Amino acid sequence: MASKSEPRVIPEHMNPPQESEIVEREGVSYLQSNEAMFTFYKRTKGELSKYFLGLRDQKKIWGIKCPKCEAIRVPPFAQMCPECDFVEMDWIEMPDLGKMNSTPPITYFAHSLFQSWVPFGRGRVVLEGAETALPIHVYTTKGVLTPFIFKRGTPVKIVFREERIGKPTDIFAVPLEELTPEQRSASPLMEADLDFSQPVEPEMGATTHAHRAAFDTAVEMLTRLSQDVERSTRAQHNLAGWKRRIAVRTAAGNLGLRIDDGKLSVTRGKPRGRSDFVMIAEDPQLLVDWMTFKDSLTNAIIAGTLWISANREFTTIFKLDRLPRSTHRDTQ
Amino acid sequence: MRRVGIVGAGITPCKGRWVEKTYYGLSQMAVKTCMEDAAMSIKDVDAVVFGIYNDIFELSAIPEHPLQGIIGMVNKPGMRVTNGGATGAYAMLAGYTWVASGLYDTVLVLGVEKATDCFDFESMTETPEVIKTIGWSGDTFFERELGWTASDSYAEVVLAYMDDHPDDLKPEISAEIAEILCQQAKNNPYAQRRDEVVTAEMAMNSRYVVYPFKLLEMCVYSEGAGAVVFAAEDQAKAICRNAGTEPVWITGIGASNEHHVAGPDYKRHKYMGRIWSDYISSHKAYEMAGIVDPLNEIGVVELHDAFVKQLQITMGELDFVPIGRTDALIEEEIMTPGGKVLVNPSGGLTFGGHFVGGSNVFSTWSARREMFNRGIERGLVHGTGSTVAQYGVAMVLERS
Repeated sequence: MASKSEPRVIPEHMNPPQESEIVEREGVSYLQSNEAMFTFYKRTKGELSKYFLGLRDQKKIWGIKCPKCEAIRVPPFAQMCPECDFVEMDWIEMPDLGKMNSTPPITYFAHSLFQSWVPFGRGRVVLEGAETALPIHVYTTKGVLTPFIFKRGTPVKIVFREERIGKPTDIFAVPLEELTPEQRSASPLMEADLDFSQPVEPEMGATTHAHRAAFDTAVEMLTRLSQDVERSTRAQHNLAGWKRRIAVRTAAGNLGLRIDDGKLSVTRGKPRGRSDFVMIAEDPQLLVDWMTFKDSLTNAIIAGTLWISANREFTTIFKLDRLPRSTHRDTQ
Repeated sequence: MRRVGIVGAGITPCKGRWVEKTYYGLSQMAVKTCMEDAAMSIKDVDAVVFGIYNDIFELSAIPEHPLQGIIGMVNKPGMRVTNGGATGAYAMLAGYTWVASGLYDTVLVLGVEKATDCFDFESMTETPEVIKTIGWSGDTFFERELGWTASDSYAEVVLAYMDDHPDDLKPEISAEIAEILCQQAKNNPYAQRRDEVVTAEMAMNSRYVVYPFKLLEMCVYSEGAGAVVFAAEDQAKAICRNAGTEPVWITGIGASNEHHVAGPDYKRHKYMGRIWSDYISSHKAYEMAGIVDPLNEIGVVELHDAFVKQLQITMGELDFVPIGRTDALIEEEIMTPGGKVLVNPSGGLTFGGHFVGGSNVFSTWSARREMFNRGIERGLVHGTGSTVAQYGVAMVLERS
């Protein structure tokens, strides 16, 4: 058995208590109870084992080639060619370079099993020489992942994670143009070889009167929001156990946000000291819209109007997005 | 093959959550309404096909087995069909073939689904758990563990289509279609979002769920049930004469399932920028029904609009507009009010409702209703489903 500290197949916190409750509809009581449908597996990868062992132990990607039609398929989802009367195919080691089959969707709202991965791209890469496309996560090393980084035909390289257990998530793809010549030629390229600390900041346009007015409003509202957080248990819960220093840049000026275990503080001007990440919004109206429920920071990232310097900090954006509604519910 | 007609149809109201009913109760409601519509007894039905998409939604590995007795079909043949989003359409295909083949004279097709009994105890809401439940549908070895969801799967197809046709699917067109569907749902007494007001501007400004899909331009999760009865020609005429209605004949039916792995040639793998399953299934149905110009020969379409932009591509695949020019649906007033073809008068799955196992039954109920109410001679019902819009079914309905 695994020790308690190891990741569990079903995380403990997802397991609700065994209980029931009454729900009323138009004066009638209905009973509902907490239940689950679960089955554990010792699941074989069977004929696909060579592929997954390649990911886990060899740091190689195996494809399969038909001796008759010569098609190379990756992933090797079948061992006999369905187009050639089920002739046995041959394993073939694949290069770790390829191109995007099409523009991939980027997932920001994952279900509970994948929330720690967001945002992630679930794309398909046609490795050099292959006919089919390999489903794979795609990431950028240059800041937050947006829908505008990967397109059909974008050249990519496969990267192996340091910890691998023989799953599709053992590898991911990054744009080839983000890599140094050394990284491009490294095979296998490991996650530790990548540099996520040099994001490319978007260019800022000219400052307008509207920007200046919106910036003043945003600072004023943020200050009020930070005060409201002090009176809102929901908002404090949203920020509990979280510590971040955020440098916010807009066309009309800079400000600093600090999250400190249930508290939020705001400073006008460039924040002193090290920041955990940078938020760039050319138009500060975006911040006003967030605090007045007209838009969300998440949506602004998806739309490309808000940029953050670290993909993993999307979790912080989710937390910030909850604040206006939480404070509204607790203070109104 | 024998001629097959629809002689009765009934659905439950579509709800985001039916606390008041289990899927047993919903099934009884739909079957009772259907029998009343056909003015016949369940005792006169020879066989039943159940459309239930996902075992997990019903919390049962063979969820149809209790329904056999519950809907009064003891000791008669019953078979469950499950084909992703196209479950209802495939269930009707099975029901049709049972009658057309001469095996049975009258067949009931019942589509039913719960969904929002699923509950996420972290967020204390249903939606993440519904998404997770559907997420078990992705390729179990190569995709599911990448966080596959239904939304991002269809987004993948739409994004690839946009790679090919960057000038089509303009945001303002999709938003306008959302407004039209919203308006049309007001004509459907069972629509889930009948009382909602969504304008094109609201749709345009609604948040992204996954790019390029916006919240107000995609289907909802529903619970509900729908039933239709198919009958062979002689029985259909007799039943309808008794009920004071008329049969709606199924004159064409087609189905197609694509590959689930992407590749450049749709004949070998999935070409991501098209929905060939929609094209192939509809053209098989057209060929069977003798249709050569759908836009001028079909008056009402009830299609499976999981997402508005997918609705547009599907209308292209169904040959109502050219692929790459689906914005013509609005720009050339093809599906605007009073346009050449009535598209999803029920509000579609976007505003009407989407109880997966029976959504296409719901569409059939609506198409037949509109054909009667508006004097339309010919209609088309469509279903899509599975990962990357892999499954497609089309069914041509005619009155005379």
